[in-house]
Amino acid sequence: MLAYLNNLAVLISINAILAVTLNFVLGYAGIFSLAHAVFFGVGAYTSALVAMKLGGGFLLSTAAAMAASALISLALALPALRVRGEYFVAASLGLQMLALTVFSEWKVVTGGIGGISNIPPARFPGFEISSPAQYLVLALGCLALVMLVVALLVRSSFGRSLKAIRDDETAASAFGKNVAVIKTIAVAVSSALAAVAGSLYAFYLSFVNVESFTLDTSVYLMAMVIIGGTATLVGPVVGAVLILLLPAALSYLPGLPQTEVGSIQQIVYGLAMVLLMIFRPGGLWGFRDQSRGDR
Amino acid sequence: MSAGGAVLLETTGMSRAFGGLKAVDNVSFALREGIVTALVGPNGAGKTTLFNLITGHLDPNAGDVTWLGKSIKGVPHWKIARSGIGRTFQDLKLFDQMTVQENVQTVTERGAWLWQPGGKAGLAERRARAEHALAAVRLADRRHARAVDLAYAERKFLSVARILASGARLWLLDEPASGLDPGSYERFVTLVRDQLRHGITVCIIEHNLDIVKGISDRIAFLDQGRLLADGDPASILADPALAAIYFGERAA
Amino acid sequence: MLLLQLLINGLQLGAIYALTAVGFALIFGSTKVFHVAHGAAFTLAGYLFWWSINAQEWHWAVGLALAVAVVVAFGLFMERFIYRPIQRHEGAFFTVFVAAFGMQVIVQNLVGMVFGRGFETVTVSLSRAAEIAPGLFVAPIAGIAIVVAIVFFIGLNLFLLHTHVGTGLRALADNPDLVRVFGLEPTRLAQVAFGLGSALVVPAAALTAMSQGINPGIGAHIMLISLAATIVGGIGSLKGAAYGGFLLGLAESLAVWKLDPQWSEAVTFVILFVFIIFRPAGFLGRAQGAK
Repeated sequence: MLAYLNNLAVLISINAILAVTLNFVLGYAGIFSLAHAVFFGVGAYTSALVAMKLGGGFLLSTAAAMAASALISLALALPALRVRGEYFVAASLGLQMLALTVFSEWKVVTGGIGGISNIPPARFPGFEISSPAQYLVLALGCLALVMLVVALLVRSSFGRSLKAIRDDETAASAFGKNVAVIKTIAVAVSSALAAVAGSLYAFYLSFVNVESFTLDTSVYLMAMVIIGGTATLVGPVVGAVLILLLPAALSYLPGLPQTEVGSIQQIVYGLAMVLLMIFRPGGLWGFRDQSRGDR
Repeated sequence: MSAGGAVLLETTGMSRAFGGLKAVDNVSFALREGIVTALVGPNGAGKTTLFNLITGHLDPNAGDVTWLGKSIKGVPHWKIARSGIGRTFQDLKLFDQMTVQENVQTVTERGAWLWQPGGKAGLAERRARAEHALAAVRLADRRHARAVDLAYAERKFLSVARILASGARLWLLDEPASGLDPGSYERFVTLVRDQLRHGITVCIIEHNLDIVKGISDRIAFLDQGRLLADGDPASILADPALAAIYFGERAA
Repeated sequence: MLLLQLLINGLQLGAIYALTAVGFALIFGSTKVFHVAHGAAFTLAGYLFWWSINAQEWHWAVGLALAVAVVVAFGLFMERFIYRPIQRHEGAFFTVFVAAFGMQVIVQNLVGMVFGRGFETVTVSLSRAAEIAPGLFVAPIAGIAIVVAIVFFIGLNLFLLHTHVGTGLRALADNPDLVRVFGLEPTRLAQVAFGLGSALVVPAAALTAMSQGINPGIGAHIMLISLAATIVGGIGSLKGAAYGGFLLGLAESLAVWKLDPQWSEAVTFVILFVFIIFRPAGFLGRAQGAK
């Protein structure tokens, strides 16, 4: 039981990092990305490779993962941010699908569909993370750090610029803000931090493969952010907790055939997304009232 | 009413069409330093389009626009904003979910990087500008209210506070006073006159002719995209032909 | 011969993408709603058609009629009960998209629960490929797909150009305020757009069921590519969506000539990317003016 809870807690932490970083662009900047799982994946694969081929410890591997993710995010951001919102969604979808093919077929780097296994445990100078409890501490530590970084950014002039762009992009640029550059930096930061989750994931499971980085995952993460609430720091964490506890909660319901749990889970959060958008677009933890005065 | 100082902004032969419709047709005029130039004309005359052409939100089909002697045609609008041309919008475009303080603060923070240039001195200067702007529009005590929660007149003043805090040298105001009660309007006029003394130049789009009479040093009269008159307010406002156009007595 | 085979396959695939893309473009162009739940309509249509024929052994015309009825109802339901309430109080792009996406997830999983998650096909004589030339296998369905697509597009074009409602839809796309001048209600027109746009997936879904087969995820998959087609063809242009659909179908099919089949889908998204970078307006889209 304890092992089960420990595992759940680690996974929640990892997903919370992803949700918080996705919210950074979605909730604070209004950038709609369906490719977040790509950066999760790039982080995981890079970290695994650096650990296995270069003998890197946790810090080195994660740093490499962050750099790789940020670089790839530029490939998405630089062209796509010059155009309107709908195009960015499509471009991010395109990137997600492309990445899926690359993850599955580029056997030399990603191990193809089989993935990469036997990833060594996370190493720090002087000690190794070996027990699940230690991984939980590491995961929570990373989550706290990521949230701190995001909180600092949001409260800074950069965060204000992002919110201004979200509220009215035309006005933001009419006051001299270089919207494209600001959005690109936001996407790069979000992707780099998402890679931290990828690195944790790779070390914790000792195994990564494409199955964890599909469009379904991106949708899953989006659901966490939306259900938990955009534009607040805690909201996405709440969302992550709820979504990850859902399968467990569902398995306690009597009369639910086990084979259908996956589908029902998806239906529940699909329904949550629809209902929330109609009645409470700010999410469960969002602003009470999102109405705009002069619409 | 003074004739103004040096020419800061000048358009020559500006034209812009949408499909077959000429929104702005060969407009040439100049904005002189230190005065208020009013841009008037019936609805759809092309006034806001002209603003959009100046600020770089729209590209002209023909003609040029110079700022401080250099052409700014084709320059991205955020760069134009940084060079000292500020504008407000008819629909305000406030940062609704942000507070009054944040609205005013963020326009002083133009840098795109994770922190602003200028160090501690820069920070102090930006803070001072923001505080000064809030005080000038008397919104300092509402600083923590969200923009979307403000009253109508307060929102209009916040829009002015933003352009004041931004440090712009030329203010392009798009109907900034529409819908204001007489008291607020007086405050607005005093504020603008005060800014003129500090070296700001203003170009204002306004429908209400009484307001125009009270505030402008020069008038530019636009109709169907063309500049029909440009000069002294008294003579323009007394012209019966222009009045007829303005009040729509010409057949539609 | 292989090239010819791939060409024909590509046209067949393209017809399916084109029909779906045009339906989406019609809805998005007229109502500005980013209706990604259009994929759910596709899934519903495909499964109802399959179920009518395979499970109930009804005549194919009945299957089609049933699919059309349900899909139109779905489109109208989405407009009336999901999008309209959202647009009333906020209507941001984000909100609409998420709601549509949520709906798509719900439908996909419901269909999977009710009909099973495997691949299903409708095998009719039309789907059996005949060797019409050495090495060239073509099923009548290919020709039918292309003809059906063309017929529907011509019909749609005539409708939009020559009927009062059709003109109203075009006006709605360009200038919603003008619509009232014509004596038409924007909400009624929106319903027409959703109903008509949704109905266009029925031939596409039926053709898919008869050729490649369907699974609960088919709608989402086709929607993705149709979205790409709309952008490549030019947002705001129905002709563009159709051309985009055919182009991507051909590209996906012809990609097999030089690449591993697994990479053929990637080709679609590379094309999408290239267009977004170099020509966001697509082939026929209206160039977007400055903000």
